[in-house]
Amino acid sequence: MATKIDRRDFLKLGIAATATAAIGIGMSDRSIIPLPMAAPAASKGPENPPHKWVMVIDQSKCVGCDLCLAACHAYNDTPPNISWSRVEEVAPLDDGQRVFRPVPCQHCQDAPCVEICPVGATYHRYDGLVMMDYDKCIGCRYCQLSCPYGVRHFNWEKFTGPNPDVPAAGTPEIERRPRGVVEKCSFCVHRIDRGLSAGLTPGVDPDATPACVVACTYGARLFGDLNDPDSPVSVALRNNPDAYRLREELGTDPRVYYLPAKPKEGSAS
Amino acid sequence: MKERVTSLVLDTVLPATKEPVVRWMAFLSIFIVAGVCAALVVFIKGLGVTNLTDLVPWGLWISIDLSAIALAAGAFSVSAIAYLLRRKELQPVAKTAVYVGFIGYSMAMMMLLLDIGRPDRFWHGFVFWNIHSPLWEVTMCVGLYFSVLMMEVIPIIGHWEPVEHRFPRISARMVGLHRITPVLALVGLCLSTLHQSSLGLTYGKLVARPIWYRPWPMAINFYVSAIVGGIALVTFISFFSARLTPKAVINKRVLDKLAHGVGWAVLFLLALRWWDLMRMPAEYVPGKTEALYILTRGRLAFNFWWLEIILGMLVPATILLVPQFRRKENLRMIALALIAVGVVAYRWNTNLVGQLVVFGTVPGSDVPLFTHYTPSLVEILTGAGVIAYGLLAVTFGVRYLNVIHHGEGVEAPAEASVPAAMVPSSR
Repeated sequence: MATKIDRRDFLKLGIAATATAAIGIGMSDRSIIPLPMAAPAASKGPENPPHKWVMVIDQSKCVGCDLCLAACHAYNDTPPNISWSRVEEVAPLDDGQRVFRPVPCQHCQDAPCVEICPVGATYHRYDGLVMMDYDKCIGCRYCQLSCPYGVRHFNWEKFTGPNPDVPAAGTPEIERRPRGVVEKCSFCVHRIDRGLSAGLTPGVDPDATPACVVACTYGARLFGDLNDPDSPVSVALRNNPDAYRLREELGTDPRVYYLPAKPKEGSAS
Repeated sequence: MKERVTSLVLDTVLPATKEPVVRWMAFLSIFIVAGVCAALVVFIKGLGVTNLTDLVPWGLWISIDLSAIALAAGAFSVSAIAYLLRRKELQPVAKTAVYVGFIGYSMAMMMLLLDIGRPDRFWHGFVFWNIHSPLWEVTMCVGLYFSVLMMEVIPIIGHWEPVEHRFPRISARMVGLHRITPVLALVGLCLSTLHQSSLGLTYGKLVARPIWYRPWPMAINFYVSAIVGGIALVTFISFFSARLTPKAVINKRVLDKLAHGVGWAVLFLLALRWWDLMRMPAEYVPGKTEALYILTRGRLAFNFWWLEIILGMLVPATILLVPQFRRKENLRMIALALIAVGVVAYRWNTNLVGQLVVFGTVPGSDVPLFTHYTPSLVEILTGAGVIAYGLLAVTFGVRYLNVIHHGEGVEAPAEASVPAAMVPSSR
């Protein structure tokens, strides 16, 4: 004998199930229900991170030598066809001086890639840096479409064998990424974290600073904590009110600032 | 021994090949075999064998996947009309639509499995949620809706002769699932509305690509064009199969009504598309203006004006809405096929136009960079293989599963239209 369900009961059941599902989905962020699968509710980075890591790139000092890229390749073991940051040559100054623009991952506070990654493989760390979880990434490449800066790279092929960019004297500091995932600049978080735990100050002590910043002979790249008023980046931004960021109109709130190139004093005429 | 084999071939295989449908299926099988080989190359060597790049990461496969999902939308739309709006005469058409939809979604899933860099992690979307991502929403809904379609297709398989004869009890169970069809139609309507529009939003949400960055128009256009294309394809397949084989039994009056409705719908879609196009700003917007140029006057112009607007919408709308033209069966069939082609062209253009212009990554200045994309042989072979699978599956369905059987009251008896559980004081 089957249980009798009339239409009214059926509708009630349906409405109840829908409401439950809606409430469940609505509340399924870790702050309310500790569901292991639910992504953090906000696609923005943390409001007041303990450290606000920022990179300042001084275009008046950059000569486009690509030394920062060499250091990046060696420390992060990137394949020959992938470069986590790139150095573009932009329009020269009026006096003919060449101008370069290094572009690493901008570590946006409101990162489009974090918002749209279907599996949450790219996410904001506690200090607001945009990270990649190479074990989660399914390689759909949606983040590449979403990135306004074009700094995300897909591993189209498996990278095997020795890395020509790694000098014989050293070894890379992080693991090589597998085929089929997207990778990008991490601001050398491993160096930051290791330095912090050793009591060093990132941006001041070379061992705690991103490899590209350390490698730059001309001091064109600065790194540091914007929360610390004495950090190199805070000082540089205070002294250069004309600092700008890339494509600010998109509202991504990047963590990389540029100091525009200026005509060299006394060089002209 | 040798003679026996030859006689076997002569007696059994050769007569079969005289049947056109068998030759057609064999022809499709060649493409499927080639596609499987190409897919193995992709799985073994990785996506490096494609012509995709970091600047154009979504190519032919994504276009096929989008088109397959769009043209499968007939399943939910016809089911919703038949079971939720209670148009009983459409219930047999819904069966055709559901079968075609099932094939479409399975095609899309094959394409996606090839396209993602880590096919072994295809399940990550179901386990690791990012509720802000339209693509996550699409993953979940497509996965769930595929199960819905499976439940809707199971009764069709249950009616398949070998199953019915050899396993009558299992067959009865499978056919019994037909009782919950109205519920499935409702669930399917919800899930499809969510993911068909989210597919548009997948592009419309990307602030980095100005030509795509129109969340509402993209979502609505994708949804409406999917419904139009889906119903058009189902109607076309029904008419076309009935022309080719007596296995397909159609109710011309009902299908003609449907075709007439599609005519109005395609006009509505045209209005939406035109309005969307006209809303684009006339002044220069970096990235957007260049993309618009490519679409309307550049490399995609032929696709856009001819395949999408003229052949995909204007011509079919005229044919389907003018009674003299619609009454001509060939013309009507061509019009319906053209609508499906137009929807495919729309998906291809939309996917590509945003990627052919990349803003702000060109060394030297801030002017947009123009990229190129031509699918590689491996991409084309796998794509053709998946399409051949779809055609083969539809052929199989028409020939063996009687999916096109719109005769009056043959399938879906009246009492099955409402599940027993929903009938007050049943039993």
